[in-house]
Amino acid sequence: MEFHGPSTVDEAVSLLAADEDARCLAGGATLVAMMNADLVMPSALVSLRHIAALGGIAADAGGGLRIGAMTTHREVADAAGLDGAHALISETARAIGHPAIRNMGTIGGSIGHGDPQADYPAALVALDASVELRGPDGARAVPAQDFFVDYLETALQPGELITAVTLPPSPAGGFGAYEKFARVEGDYATVSVAAAVAMEAGRCRYVRVALGSCGPIPVRAEDAEARLAGTALADEDVAAAAAVLRDACDPVDDVRGSGEYRMMLVEPLLGRALRAAAAKGGAR
Amino acid sequence: MSEAIPISLTVNGRTHRLFVQPWHTLLQVLREQISLTGSKRGCNQGVCGACSVMIDGAVMRGCLTLAADAAGREIVTVEGLAVGGALSPVQQALLDHGAVQCGFCMPGMAVAATALLADNPSPSDAEIRDGLSGNLCRCSGYVKVVEAVRSASAGGAS
Repeated sequence: MEFHGPSTVDEAVSLLAADEDARCLAGGATLVAMMNADLVMPSALVSLRHIAALGGIAADAGGGLRIGAMTTHREVADAAGLDGAHALISETARAIGHPAIRNMGTIGGSIGHGDPQADYPAALVALDASVELRGPDGARAVPAQDFFVDYLETALQPGELITAVTLPPSPAGGFGAYEKFARVEGDYATVSVAAAVAMEAGRCRYVRVALGSCGPIPVRAEDAEARLAGTALADEDVAAAAAVLRDACDPVDDVRGSGEYRMMLVEPLLGRALRAAAAKGGAR
Repeated sequence: MSEAIPISLTVNGRTHRLFVQPWHTLLQVLREQISLTGSKRGCNQGVCGACSVMIDGAVMRGCLTLAADAAGREIVTVEGLAVGGALSPVQQALLDHGAVQCGFCMPGMAVAATALLADNPSPSDAEIRDGLSGNLCRCSGYVKVVEAVRSASAGGAS
């Protein structure tokens, strides 16, 4: 096994492109655990630690947000000045693991693993985020919804690495909430719901919802959002939207809960997430 | 086997020049090459916290950090907490409160608590519990640990 510590994205791309069994090492929280369990043994590790261009959170002039791939969960959790629905990303980061994991793990490393039980995937889909990639053929951006392809499978192609996650401007009057149900503090979610909502005169003017741990990728259903739009998010509206979302789910039975149990969690967690997000907007 | 990588690792203020394999974890190198066996190998999966060390001031997992990736960073292990042979306030409080049962989790608890108090000198009980949430005690002696950390905090002389 080789170990590389490039200082530029271009060098990292060349190293990855030259060896398809090479893997990026970001925070190590997932990759090293898998190496310790003998689940993977890459031919080479390309540490991204020394690439300054992959760090940092920056707002752009249009109100969007760019989060470098090597930004740790703690940096996202503690980020100051994230407005409106963008605060959902910080709330989600605070729900990941424990302090030591949040100090190590990165947003790029987390989503690059493509684990539907992780916290960021659903939040990024609910925020209409994009994933910036760089490879031998240059840079491209993939909507979060298309980035997650299947269980532990993403749109990343050989030789590509994740350089950043970008969020579009927060919808006017929009707020977000992340509701996570886990067996114990710090575990992966049994079910999670990420919601971004804008209310106007007591009615829902904008809504995006995505579920985690309910299928091989984050579950979004535009019909469920359409059912919620224009409503006051009453119990019957939430129940009807949850029914549509459940039809789009394909949950596994595992140690964190049976598929049937997960389906039972969708409606109450959806209601909590929507109302928590709406409440952050206060009376409007 | 690939060629060993020469690295220099700064642990508890002392710099060690070592050869490591790319897959060697910091925990493994601390224990086997530097003979600092305070950091424990529990799960080796980042779950239990027995291997907790501070890297550049932040608590992290020794088992999930590759030694080659830790080169050039400031590492503090439980052996680096005592000052001039005297236990640190956190260590003394753990001892005084009877927080130590079998002791396996204690090095990680002491490191995590030290990092917590460095960031937040007067944490609430909820913040103490959150700060130590990544450290498992299978004797389940958490109450004494929380009491000890509270007493070692800036507001905890009582």
